[in-house]
Amino acid sequence: MPTPYLVETHNLTKQYGKNRCVNAVNMHVPPGAVYGFLGPNGAGKSTTLKMILGLARPTEGSITLFGTPVSEKNRMKLLAQTGSLIESPSYYGHLTGEENLRIIQTLKGCSEKDISEVLKIVRLSEARGKLVNHYSLGMKQRLGLAAALLGFPKLLILDEPTNGLDPAGIQEMRELVCSLPAAYGMTVLVSSHLLDEIDRMADYVGIIRKGGLIWQDSLESLHARSKEQIALRVSHTAIALDLLRQNGIEAAQEEEYLLLPMMDDAYVANLCRQLVAQNISLYRIEKREKSLEDIFLSLTGKESSL
Amino acid sequence: MITLRTEFKKIKRKKIGLTMCALIGIQFAWLLWSGARPDEKEKLQGWIEMLYSLPPISVIMMPTVMSVLASRLADAEHKGSTYKLLNTLRRPGALYHAKAVCGALFILGISIAQFLFIIALGYARGYAGHPEWKRYAAAFLLHLACCLSLYLLQLLLSMLFFNQMIPLVAGLGGSMLGLILMYIKMYSFLPWGGFLSAAQAAMDWNPETRVIHFFYRQYSRVELCAVSMIFIWIVVFYTAGRILFSRKEC
Repeated sequence: MPTPYLVETHNLTKQYGKNRCVNAVNMHVPPGAVYGFLGPNGAGKSTTLKMILGLARPTEGSITLFGTPVSEKNRMKLLAQTGSLIESPSYYGHLTGEENLRIIQTLKGCSEKDISEVLKIVRLSEARGKLVNHYSLGMKQRLGLAAALLGFPKLLILDEPTNGLDPAGIQEMRELVCSLPAAYGMTVLVSSHLLDEIDRMADYVGIIRKGGLIWQDSLESLHARSKEQIALRVSHTAIALDLLRQNGIEAAQEEEYLLLPMMDDAYVANLCRQLVAQNISLYRIEKREKSLEDIFLSLTGKESSL
Repeated sequence: MITLRTEFKKIKRKKIGLTMCALIGIQFAWLLWSGARPDEKEKLQGWIEMLYSLPPISVIMMPTVMSVLASRLADAEHKGSTYKLLNTLRRPGALYHAKAVCGALFILGISIAQFLFIIALGYARGYAGHPEWKRYAAAFLLHLACCLSLYLLQLLLSMLFFNQMIPLVAGLGGSMLGLILMYIKMYSFLPWGGFLSAAQAAMDWNPETRVIHFFYRQYSRVELCAVSMIFIWIVVFYTAGRILFSRKEC
């Protein structure tokens, strides 16, 4: 049965010795999307991306690219439609930026014209004749992106592409990544440990923690989780919870508070009257908003480094 | 072919040719010094003596030369972390093969230069007659094979280890081992002693008359096995290197 996803993993697992760094990941990357792969450092993002690119062998599970299950036989054919930048940029320091791209272009078998075009996209046209050893880290990162863009592949896999970039460079990289689906029909799978970065770039989000994919959906769905709530602190929490539920309100208890969905002021006032009528004292009425960061932390655990 | 072509693009400005010329230049200087100003008797045996002189020099120098060559071809990949990109564009086995062929072409160039030099040197010194072409051809092919086996061993190490000191030390160690092997027998089953097994000429020294007589070597069965071993090493090192490199994860 054809899959609607451009990248799909089934129970993808990688174990080094006793350490299971990727555990049964089922990733679904829709075509034409920017899929943000988010997780704390050491969560298993790079290992997952390496397995998709065939740079690491899965211990268990399988990968489907462009609707075709990846095997040793068809791996190179499928990867011909991808571009990648994993961890740090790959380059030959003793060659110029243009010479580096010419090597990749020859191996990819794409047009020579692409070299000038990708150099223009990453704003390295003026530095094309300079030895890469003399490039700054940001320039090397952009050269790595240019190499990934050569041939304008259907799928672009970028592992922490803003590493080493200054704030202006980060902004540029974000804008560039966001523009790729519309401008070139690419699907971008981009990883980061920065929530804000993914929030600004991605349409879909996958959150990985300790090797396991703990959340995966559209960014809208993630934002929906950050809806506003009303928190009540009362004298008799259990009785109040029953009363609210009898009134058809989806209330939940969180520690000493009752969490209610957002409602208009008149309705809140009416509820308070009903609670007081039942001899329940009202201590606090608060409006709460769960930030995206709160959601991320609640999913990944506060002990994880960001 | 495309992968091989990119190997030559990668080594631009690496001055590998110049490095090889410098190392081979030491060999040439050694040969120039060792048989300078031969008398008439020496000129009669000059061509055989030349074939006798080359293997010991190669035993000492070529393991180091091959380690430098392999390291120069592989270190740019390590420094620039390029395998994780290249392995998405070509199969690792194909990349390994291209590196092997690229180095083999350098070795071919070096070997041709070495043999052209000794032939030119022989004529310049006025050695009697002409070289025994069949023996020179055999010496050339076996020299090439020995260099290739050592290069493939060094390539295996250079491709697998990020720290290039490991293969370089292995190369220097090979030179030392070759030197020791030279004092044991005129053949060896070890890769570093291949040049000894491949030697086309041998020497008979009479302690009473103190006369040295060079002659073309007739191989015994064991010596032929040692020569065959050179080719076995080529297959073993190439296959092992290709398999190990293909299995290596980035």
